[in-house]
Amino acid sequence: MIRVVSIIGGGELTDDLKEILGKAQFKVVAVGWKQEYGKQVEETDLVIEVAPEDFAIKKKVIKKCDSKCPKKAILATTSSNPWITRLAGETKRPEKVVGLNFTKNPFEDKYLVQMARGLQTSEETLRAVKGFLAEAGITAVNLQETPGFILDRVIASVVNEAAVMYSSKLATKEDIDKMMKVCVNWPMGPFEFADNMGVDRVVEILDLMTEQLGPKFQPCFLLRRMVDAGWLGKKTGRGFYVYS
Amino acid sequence: MEIKKIAVLGAGVMGHGIAQVCAQAGYQVNLRDIKDEFVQSGIGKIRKFLSGSVEKQKITQAEADAVVSRIKGLTDLKEAVLDVDLVIEAIVEDIDVKKEMYKELDQICRPDTIFASNTSAQSITEMAMVTKRPEKFIGMHWFNPAQLMRGVEVVVHAKTSGKTRDTIVDLCKKLGKEPGVCQDSPGFVVNRLLQIWYNEGLNMYDEGITEPIDIDTALKVAYNFRMGPFELRDLVGMDIGYASTTTHYRELMREQFRPPRCLIMKVKAGDLGRKTGKGFYEYK
Repeated sequence: MIRVVSIIGGGELTDDLKEILGKAQFKVVAVGWKQEYGKQVEETDLVIEVAPEDFAIKKKVIKKCDSKCPKKAILATTSSNPWITRLAGETKRPEKVVGLNFTKNPFEDKYLVQMARGLQTSEETLRAVKGFLAEAGITAVNLQETPGFILDRVIASVVNEAAVMYSSKLATKEDIDKMMKVCVNWPMGPFEFADNMGVDRVVEILDLMTEQLGPKFQPCFLLRRMVDAGWLGKKTGRGFYVYS
Repeated sequence: MEIKKIAVLGAGVMGHGIAQVCAQAGYQVNLRDIKDEFVQSGIGKIRKFLSGSVEKQKITQAEADAVVSRIKGLTDLKEAVLDVDLVIEAIVEDIDVKKEMYKELDQICRPDTIFASNTSAQSITEMAMVTKRPEKFIGMHWFNPAQLMRGVEVVVHAKTSGKTRDTIVDLCKKLGKEPGVCQDSPGFVVNRLLQIWYNEGLNMYDEGITEPIDIDTALKVAYNFRMGPFELRDLVGMDIGYASTTTHYRELMREQFRPPRCLIMKVKAGDLGRKTGKGFYEYK
């Protein structure tokens, strides 16, 4: 049973998790990923690492947790990349390593967790984490780790096709976005999704899916040119749309 | 050109709804189908919808009566289209039947009458070219239920005139709809993107990565999609979904449109969705 949770990271997700888990009566310890820690994680049942999305950093954090945390502790990575089995291989407890990828709903104050199992993740680990998420009141879905998980795979594929259609001048980007919203009630149009996600991230996922799943995911040239131009979406002030 | 009088051909699921929207916006509408029972059934559905609106106090009984009075039910094609400014065609989705219909209409209608097809699957270009008025030929793709869905795809082909396009865009606005313009191409905009969304969802299930409920839940909870791809397949019907996916795959000739195995197997098994009580989910 999970009672003590250690969050290794920083940023918005760490703050939100502290609040959500605190409310659900978990004991929460949060430390920065660069910070020295050891004693703080000695009692932990579950580690959630929220370090920057860089394999070398994640590997360092997971290895350190593996050496400092009690043997019973589960190690969870929030990575949106399929690195679970790889990270598990860096530890002496591969059956206790699991993916917990958090997506914040852009319209409401809530999260969806994609609970991804690596090749060696045990049923026992999954049961414990499921119980923990249910207690914390966070909706979770299950999957095997795969490029893009569920959400990025669907959304990046849609963005890619929309970019092909826009490049070939079948319709304006404004009309494509509008049509998906007013004709079939989508919450956002594909270009709005792209600007929110980051065009660079969309290309990264498409490249990874192309490499691991096949050529149908190959990114449209327009998306690559936008990355070249630094038109990455809301975060840079310009993507498919201009933000001020 | 200003549209004053409209003929809607086909009084089925889409046709009766389109006729109602036009009549509600104040247009005179001729609603035509091949048999009187089809016409009466369409008009009956319009009456039923309108009495619902009266009950909910959205409109008065007098307003509802006025809407119905603007719709004339007909079976004679010539009489239905002779003096109209616009024909909206919502007959069976069969390219040969549609082409025959347009050849006939081209002979009967005034030379300035615009032809708008509500097709979701056939080529606007191909149909336009059987007429002598390709510049007055356009796609007007509505969504079900036409009375409630706000968007209309306005589909132009290489020879559609700017005037025809502007007339139809303007008409959509007068009907209280939101038009979006796109070029003729398989699936237009909306269905083509929907195919990708459906297929990537279904492919993940085929690959053994996860289950329908996980994929549907993820899209609904994370992004507020109203339904997930599996729920929507069940609602629309697996046979219809399979036909649509197959058409996209055949015409766009790209791997991302290939029908997923689980969809093919559901069709073969007769588990077509809600209408048979079982699809990806079970219904009681």
